[in-house]
Amino acid sequence: MGTIAIEGVRRSFGSVEAVRHLSLDIRDSEFFTLLGPSGCGKTTLLRMIAGFTEPDAGEIRIGGKRIDTLPPHRRNIGMVFQNYAIFPNLTVAGNIAYGLKARKFAPDEIARRVTEALVLVRLSGYGERWPHQLSGGQLQRVAIARALVIRPEVLLLDEPLSNLDARLRVDMRGEIRELQQRLGITTVYVTHDQEEALAVSQRIAVMHSGRIEQLGAPEEIYRKPASLFVARFMGTTNVLRGVAGARDDCGTRVRVGPSELLVPVLDAREGEALSLCIRPEALRVIVGGEPLAADSARLEATVRKTEFVGALVRLDAELADGTPLKVAVLDDPVAGAAPGSRIALAYDPARVTVFREGAP
Amino acid sequence: MNVSAVLRVAPLARLPLAIGTIAFAFLGLFLLYPLWGVLSASILTPDGTAFTLDNYAKVLSRSFYRASVANTLTIGLLATLTTTLIAVPLAFAIARLEIPGKVLLIAMATLPLVLPSFVGAYALVLLLGRSGIVTQFLNAWGIPFGSIYGTLGIVTVYTLTLFPYVLLPTVTGLKAVDVSVEEAAQNLGSSPARTFRTITLPIVIPSVLSGALLVFIETLENFGVPAVLAEDKPILAVEAYKLFIGETATNPSAAAVLGVLLILSTVTVLIIQRRYLAGRRFATGARLAPPLTRVGLGWRVAATGYCWAIVLLALVPFFAIVVLSFMEFRGPVLQSAFSLSNYAELFATAGGPLANTLLFATLAACIAALIGVPIGWVLARTRSGWTSLLEIVATMPFAVAGTVLAIGLVIAFNAGALVLTGGWLIMVLAYCVRKLPFTVRSSSAILHQIDPALEEASISLGVSPLRTFLGLIVPLMLGGIVSGMVLTWVTVASELSSTVVLYSGPWRTLTIVMFQALEGTGAGMAVAAASVLIAITLIPVVTAYRLLRRYEFSML
Repeated sequence: MGTIAIEGVRRSFGSVEAVRHLSLDIRDSEFFTLLGPSGCGKTTLLRMIAGFTEPDAGEIRIGGKRIDTLPPHRRNIGMVFQNYAIFPNLTVAGNIAYGLKARKFAPDEIARRVTEALVLVRLSGYGERWPHQLSGGQLQRVAIARALVIRPEVLLLDEPLSNLDARLRVDMRGEIRELQQRLGITTVYVTHDQEEALAVSQRIAVMHSGRIEQLGAPEEIYRKPASLFVARFMGTTNVLRGVAGARDDCGTRVRVGPSELLVPVLDAREGEALSLCIRPEALRVIVGGEPLAADSARLEATVRKTEFVGALVRLDAELADGTPLKVAVLDDPVAGAAPGSRIALAYDPARVTVFREGAP
Repeated sequence: MNVSAVLRVAPLARLPLAIGTIAFAFLGLFLLYPLWGVLSASILTPDGTAFTLDNYAKVLSRSFYRASVANTLTIGLLATLTTTLIAVPLAFAIARLEIPGKVLLIAMATLPLVLPSFVGAYALVLLLGRSGIVTQFLNAWGIPFGSIYGTLGIVTVYTLTLFPYVLLPTVTGLKAVDVSVEEAAQNLGSSPARTFRTITLPIVIPSVLSGALLVFIETLENFGVPAVLAEDKPILAVEAYKLFIGETATNPSAAAVLGVLLILSTVTVLIIQRRYLAGRRFATGARLAPPLTRVGLGWRVAATGYCWAIVLLALVPFFAIVVLSFMEFRGPVLQSAFSLSNYAELFATAGGPLANTLLFATLAACIAALIGVPIGWVLARTRSGWTSLLEIVATMPFAVAGTVLAIGLVIAFNAGALVLTGGWLIMVLAYCVRKLPFTVRSSSAILHQIDPALEEASISLGVSPLRTFLGLIVPLMLGGIVSGMVLTWVTVASELSSTVVLYSGPWRTLTIVMFQALEGTGAGMAVAAASVLIAITLIPVVTAYRLLRRYEFSML
């Protein structure tokens, strides 16, 4: 069983606490992502699982067996490095066979598994090539094949796509996810790219300053961020400072300057300071006399700038008191709003996340 | 197409072409033409009209000269082997272990590169030779002591003076292995020992070999060390010199044969190096060197002892020379009395040798920079057929022993339109040609780190290519140029192999004073000259150590 149990793990470098008393359970066959900005501790945590960084305290178990006391070469963990770390002195086949030779497999078994692994990553026939003859994407596949061929209990990926160009990155992440599902191998994936994390993961741990800010499924983390940090880190969002007002059947009213927003019912006192997060795509431009849907609330704003980026039109708007508001609408001829014009925006109060001031 | 169109040169190609023309003229006149002189002396009949292999047949029919080829190669191979065996563990300890005083250790380990190996050999004779201090001491106690002359002594001196050639590239190689490559091996189940054997070592081996080949070439070309220590054992460079300058009957064509054989050996080694190493340079794109390996106290003590022992042992001969220079010699015999008489003698007979050495080294360093830096720029920035040819020609001096080049220069400029023999200019020219590859290589290496867009920006802003080169690029390269000049200066000051062929009466250098002392009396003056030489090589090197370490030693 490829479960990973991390209990009370801690690690500092000098005076910097890279990982602070962190506990985490990763399920068998799960595609789990550690997401966060650089310096958040995600790579340190991954390297502690692999054994290249020793925890100051805590325990790490794989399938119930304690591994943090084992040297890295006894852990049976597959790892794909950020720069691939392909052995330049060995051929593609030599690279893939490397771990099998360390495990003293018979030569014919090694040959069979290497061929299998090459098929798996769609590099059949590349066995005799040298690393310098391969492209970035191909090196990436060799790195994956090399990590998988030893049949590790878990697979660790350290920002594996950061050295590839944008298009290839999207293709490779799909391939990695597909491969992982086919093999059912527990995978820990480290990235700072939130879109990549959302696209591939079953669960994501958003990390910040050595702690887990939020742990959950991609949709949950995007739609229901647990903190302002997560809300801001997971893509673009509008953060509006307001004051709690009256409560009624529809929800709580929050004053943001002269405007008033409706949000789901809160147990906030009247007059309490709040931060509201609303994603640009949760705002919809209402055209003309279009009636408001029953569950929608309404907001007035002035368009300052429009930006056409293909599938989307981004609007930079302002509330009456000048508070900036970003709006994103799918490209649609009627949606065009000229700078300077006043628009009405509709939104679903349920898509507004509210944080009490003073909360993280 | 009309003629003017054919002859039109793209505006940006003019400066490289002008530099190339000057470079080819210089190298053609002072390198290729003399080498042709050597070759033709060996393959033409004495009247110079017909092709013949008689000279080769005559030389090779004598077992003495066949032995000189065999001895040169055997000693070279042995020295390369011992040097590598000593330097690789040293490199590993420096790159991967915790050694107290590491910064000083590395600095001291690079010193043998600039200290004259000839002086090291001479020190060995003074200490362990027939009437050496240590030998006499041991004999007085009745302890028998074998001879250090011949293979043993030569290999010892080569090992102790040439080990940095293997050490420095190996350290660089070990540091260039990206940490993740070793981690990946361990992650795949490889123990640290197996990782070292199957990954680290294979990646570093090309660096080790390129250093080892430098050592081998250096031993083939060296004149001073066998001149001091070989005694009756024939060695190519020394025998070529004897046949050419000869105390008895001179024989230029036989000397030319030996010279050609010497060049053939070095060229063969260089070709093997290119062939083998071209395909096996591993770039791991290191972003992070592996951390220091943690080992037990016992290992740490052993490694520390080993490192310091090697480095200090290599410097002992030079230290001994300096101490001896303050003692009194009666003829070749050392007296145990402190004295400054050696220096008095050196400066009495000769403000000359010191002044000559300083003058020649300075001239050679300046001329080599003036010619070499523009060539380096052309090679780094212009790609075409003629630049590849220029690269080959500018690297050639590396494969030519100083003795052979000097013989060629004498043959070429002894008579005819341009007579240079007997003066000082021919010596300076020999030094410039010999050191040119180093200047060229280091300038083009620095240029590879300067974005060509800087030059393009300057030119697009209206500054001519020549003024861009002089006003923008040369200042950017200044650190590298200065360190290259220091290295040229220092190595020219201790040059012996071509000096010994080219010098004449008033133009003796410090190395010649020492060389002459070996053949007769005047040991006192020789150690004084050697000490002065050590001082004038060490002072600039220590002063410019940071620059040298950054630009020159890193290129090995």
